[in-house]
Amino acid sequence: MARYLDWIDRLNRAAGRLAGWFILAMVLIQVLVVLLRYVFNIGYLWMQESVLYLHVGLALFAAGFTLLNNVHVRVDVFYQTAAPRLKALIDVIGSLVFLLPLCVVIFWKSLPFVAASWSVLEGSAQPSGLPAVFLLKTSILCFALLLGLQGLAFAIRAFDALVTGETRQ
Amino acid sequence: MSFLAGHLDLLLLVSVCLLLMAGFPVAFSLGGAGLLFAFFGSLAGITPTLGAIPLRIYGIVTNEVLIAVPLFIFMGFVLERSKVAEDLLLAMGWLLRGLPGGLSLSVTLVGALLAASTGIVGATVVTMGLLALPTLLKNGYRPSLACGSIAAAGTLGQIIPPSIVLVFLADQLSNAYQSAQRDMGYFAPEPFSVADLFAASVLPGLVLVGIYMLYQLLAASRQKNRDVVSLQTPAPGSGRAALLFSLCPPLFLIVCVLGSILAGIATPTEAAALGAAGAVVIAGARVSKSRLLPLGLPVLSVLVLAGVLASGIRNAEGLSGTVVVVLAIAASLGLFAGLLANFRTLQMQGLLSGIVQKAVEMIAMMFAIMIGASIFSLVFRDLGGDETVTSLLSSLPGGTLGAMLAVMAVMFVLGFFLDFLEIVFVVVPLVAPVLLQMPMADGSLMSPAWLGVMMAVNLQTSFLTPPFGFALFYLRGTVPASVRTMDIYRGVIPFVAIQLLVLVLIYWMPALATWLPGRLYP
Repeated sequence: MARYLDWIDRLNRAAGRLAGWFILAMVLIQVLVVLLRYVFNIGYLWMQESVLYLHVGLALFAAGFTLLNNVHVRVDVFYQTAAPRLKALIDVIGSLVFLLPLCVVIFWKSLPFVAASWSVLEGSAQPSGLPAVFLLKTSILCFALLLGLQGLAFAIRAFDALVTGETRQ
Repeated sequence: MSFLAGHLDLLLLVSVCLLLMAGFPVAFSLGGAGLLFAFFGSLAGITPTLGAIPLRIYGIVTNEVLIAVPLFIFMGFVLERSKVAEDLLLAMGWLLRGLPGGLSLSVTLVGALLAASTGIVGATVVTMGLLALPTLLKNGYRPSLACGSIAAAGTLGQIIPPSIVLVFLADQLSNAYQSAQRDMGYFAPEPFSVADLFAASVLPGLVLVGIYMLYQLLAASRQKNRDVVSLQTPAPGSGRAALLFSLCPPLFLIVCVLGSILAGIATPTEAAALGAAGAVVIAGARVSKSRLLPLGLPVLSVLVLAGVLASGIRNAEGLSGTVVVVLAIAASLGLFAGLLANFRTLQMQGLLSGIVQKAVEMIAMMFAIMIGASIFSLVFRDLGGDETVTSLLSSLPGGTLGAMLAVMAVMFVLGFFLDFLEIVFVVVPLVAPVLLQMPMADGSLMSPAWLGVMMAVNLQTSFLTPPFGFALFYLRGTVPASVRTMDIYRGVIPFVAIQLLVLVLIYWMPALATWLPGRLYP
């Protein structure tokens, strides 16, 4: 079991690192776009769109990574001072009732949406844009999958803590 | 049972509030509770339109307005982690050391400036609390005044542009404004942009800062041991050059970013990218041994480029034209080389990976909240929540005043439990389309700019109000044991009073918010 959990952690760490590269690339490319546009009067639509692609990846790929680091914002008026077992209970119930169904529904409802885009290999609405809108839409599935897997690991660990009463990191 | 089925929307609202209190991450509680009630709704015979979920998510992540957000967040963490913000605070305090309460004035000023960087209550309050509080206490400030100043300054980041939360608020208000205009029969409404809200919040922000500082001057000069207050703090760094270095570049950066957005030269995304690049350059120069080259090369390149653009010789023909083009290319290359070198410096110092990770986490968290909140509001709407809110708001006595009071009170209370973002995503789409069809105090139709400013100042007040205010929790985590919780509470009360005063002022003088955007974008 621990091996699978470890595998999920590693997957999401990789996704988080990827998102980190995305943000650096976003800064550099957007600066380049500004320079080209204001100084040289050149505008490439694909370049501007690539910033959007990076932004989408950044927004969607790192949700599981953020859950792994347990930094999704909570209302901690009450949670912060709760006993470790109670915290674990809240996390187990929350994962089973909210998080996992949420990921399943997002994945399931997005499947036809993404499939329709793949079936025509949907491209940009602009003729000179990037021809990969289907990939952009696929990232919604990645979001649900990465977050769902990490949610599963999170729930199992919380359950473990609930049984043993140990404090999680 | 049929009563319950008829009021699923209200039940959803109440149970979400209760569930959030348990402490499960907000994003998933919002979305998950929405789904749960969609399920109940389908049992009661209401078919929720969950098929719209992928379209909603796609709309959120491809929203061009929000591309500025990751860039601003990155910029903020660069300035914070590289201690550029810390230097700024100390240098400003040293400059103002002659005035009574000079250091607390500096806290307010820097808080207002750092607005640019984080806009998230927690980060600013913690930074200022760790940095400024020991210095303030050492210099003989009453703990209450010191804590009040820091908590208040930390929350200023919300209202003073270019704050991240204003970007989100503007985006939500823009949608609400469109639908309000359609409801009233105008089918080609004026667009409402981020720049509009930025411009609208400049004057109210300045008024707030001004009154804060006035109060701090008075409070400090009333203290018995005045000498202690104006005690000299040691000059930071070594000499005048270091002082200039810690003061000028960040100020210049923030003025440029805000100025270019307000003047309509650059879009928020473009300004944010340049701001992020500028922050990297300043931070890289701050942590490297020699400050001249890392800062000099990019600045020189920018000056050359600005010269090329300003002199209008870009279109010159013949030899001079070629020279100009070569010059522009060389300067652009210089700019990029300088930028990359500073990235490298940050990485060598072991700062970059921490900055990037913090930024990634915050961005992912924000978008998860947006996705959760949009699923929540999708279901809430299907269950008839829209009509309920509309009829509730329009049946309140007292017209605009009654409706605004109710909305403001609800947001104020929500501010005790939720952060700015969640409130914006859940409440604004519900109430703003109704409110925006009502008149303001001066009789004209409610402007989204005014509503946005009212909401932002209101939430900022909520974050400051004891005993639940967010800012106070964060501050309490950073204060030394000698400072009691009651000191914090007593210290912020005058600031809360100032906030409420300004809120009343904006209500009766809408021009405070609407004048500047009207002048800038007629």
